[in-house]
Amino acid sequence: MAKKRERLDVIRDILKVIRDNRQIKPTRLLYASNLSPQMFKEYVDELLNKEFIKLEEDKKGKRYFLLAKKGNDFLQEYKVIETFIENFGL
Amino acid sequence: MDFYAWIVGNKEILKILYGLVITFICIIIVLKTHRLYKLSLHTGIRYFRNAFFFYGIGFFLKYVLESLVFLNIINSIFVPFISVLFKFFLIMAGFFLLYSLIWRKIEAKIEDYPSSLFHSKISVFYLMTIIIVILDYVWFTHYFMFTSQIIIFALAAIISLVNYLKNPERKFLKFYFIAMILSLIAWVLNAFSALYFGWDKGIAINIFLINTLIFLLFLYGVIKFTK
Repeated sequence: MAKKRERLDVIRDILKVIRDNRQIKPTRLLYASNLSPQMFKEYVDELLNKEFIKLEEDKKGKRYFLLAKKGNDFLQEYKVIETFIENFGL
Repeated sequence: MDFYAWIVGNKEILKILYGLVITFICIIIVLKTHRLYKLSLHTGIRYFRNAFFFYGIGFFLKYVLESLVFLNIINSIFVPFISVLFKFFLIMAGFFLLYSLIWRKIEAKIEDYPSSLFHSKISVFYLMTIIIVILDYVWFTHYFMFTSQIIIFALAAIISLVNYLKNPERKFLKFYFIAMILSLIAWVLNAFSALYFGWDKGIAINIFLINTLIFLLFLYGVIKFTK
């Protein structure tokens, strides 16, 4: 149970960093997330696949992450989701 | 006319009412949890939602459609199909509910399945359910279903008790454990009623009341924690 809560916490933390920065480079997000590069890739791939975040390029070709609508919705409802999961032992 | 005789006299209408109430509760639970699932894409919520989706279909088939057959509104040719489908959905719902409690022990890494209702790990449950339904059908019995459900809810009761003891501050875990114990009691009563009492109507009424209480408990929890 704790393991899964940690996973949701990591997702919340990644999304919060992106939201607070409005847009953030992959390297900076990796440092801010406090994850190993391998775990970071796994989480970011999942968030991209589920359209919680977007990866875009500026005119100079530098890539950066942006928060998508689904990610913003998740952050707003995070407490409700967390309470539900914990109270139902899911 | 006493109350018991009144219930027996109006049993088909009451069964439709019972089926509609349970189906309605399941629809609310599915809609509320589906919203949470869409936001979080959390695997446990997905299986929990699937469980009540299947319970809703099962109860609607058994208690609404089958009663319409006995009221001569639907042709009786459909009764065996309804009975088989009811068993399938009921057993699968039990598996989904149990799996929502244990999935994290089985799905170790992040997995993304194209369908939330069918994938490689869940296919084992579908296979087991189909085998149970076939065995019951071939032997013209319900005991394989009863046995599977008694095992499922005994396991679910133990897991929910462990969850509650680990996190007693989470108030609904206690109600979840109570709901699992009540489910276990209902299935044991069902089995005893069929085995020793020839589907005694008094026991059946008690089982209906226990089932309603279980679904109301879940409805209470879902409404309280999805506000």
